[in-house]
Amino acid sequence: MRLIVHDLAEPEYDAWLSGFCRETDEVIGLEGDIRHCVGCFGCWVRTPGTCVLKDSYKHMGERLAACEEFVLISRNVYGGYSPFVSNVLNRTLPYVLPYFTTKNGETHHQQRYERQIRFTVHFYGEGMTGAERETAQSLVGANALNLDASGYTVAFHDTLVSLKEVQ
Amino acid sequence: MRIALVNGSPKGGASNSGILLEKLKPLIAEGNELSVYRVNVKPLKPEQYGELNEADVLVLAFPLYFDAIPSHLLRMLVEFEQYRQSKQGNTDLIVYALINNGFYEGHQCKIAADIVSNWCSRSGLRFGMAVGHGAGEMFKSLSRVPLGKGPLKNLGAAMHQLSAAIHARSSAESLFIQPNFPRIAWRLAATHSFWHAQAKKNGLRPKELRRQAFQQSR
Repeated sequence: MRLIVHDLAEPEYDAWLSGFCRETDEVIGLEGDIRHCVGCFGCWVRTPGTCVLKDSYKHMGERLAACEEFVLISRNVYGGYSPFVSNVLNRTLPYVLPYFTTKNGETHHQQRYERQIRFTVHFYGEGMTGAERETAQSLVGANALNLDASGYTVAFHDTLVSLKEVQ
Repeated sequence: MRIALVNGSPKGGASNSGILLEKLKPLIAEGNELSVYRVNVKPLKPEQYGELNEADVLVLAFPLYFDAIPSHLLRMLVEFEQYRQSKQGNTDLIVYALINNGFYEGHQCKIAADIVSNWCSRSGLRFGMAVGHGAGEMFKSLSRVPLGKGPLKNLGAAMHQLSAAIHARSSAESLFIQPNFPRIAWRLAATHSFWHAQAKKNGLRPKELRRQAFQQSR
């Protein structure tokens, strides 16, 4: 199963992504309120594995653990994700453990779950600069390392039309 | 000159970003007007965007989230970019970033510094430099340690370079540093004095922190 998080408005989603998504996918879009992570660490030390904020995104850690592939479809905002996609990603913190390990000589989080996921990111937007593409590429690589992904892919789309062609 | 200090920690009370700003303040106070803004889950008011837009210097202090800028602060940056499209403000506003991350190595803040720099390009702002510091959660226990001493020796040197750049309103090479404290000792302290102590406060044993919520629900 793929867990897909996107920031497209409903008409854009219907036009460009209804064909991209499969029946077995779990899709998270802009609907409903989402609270920002407040850095309380409650998902690590109060209710391990589950966020303490009471909204429909509190189980993001478990939802990530349940998928084979994690797909983000986001406008490229300054070389990163859009505020909404970033917000959902921030709420997946309970997917990892508070403890540290060393990978490639750097500190990273230990994994809560033994299984690995694939990480795929589609950035879209007109007029992305070279710097924004480069930063986005580095960001996805760094996220993949922290999520202990089995592999990752980054794609850039100048228009939503080319996103439709991905499938 | 007018210097706006933005504390971008999402926490409600004391924060590591706040501690870093407090350490910076005495170095840049002389001859300048300092104003502090708190951007957490509450967004800034329109008049506050107006104040930021008229400042001479903007210092963004924030924690690293998923190798980038926390989403609540990112929203503020997007809103500020839009605000500047409607109101011109100071065309020579320069931005500095003070980033702390929960890992040990300061260089893990580099991508977030690049995002701030890209935001500056989009928003008609000048990017000054960033200071990225590792082991951010140590700051609370080190808040009384003088800057430039013991574990804060590297931070002291970096803050002096940052303050010199702010006084001159100039751009400089970003600095990514860690505390003068061995990584292994920091890691042991984080595990036992921080995570296990927090677990105990919540009535949990250390091994319960490894709970696999996904498997339990099935």
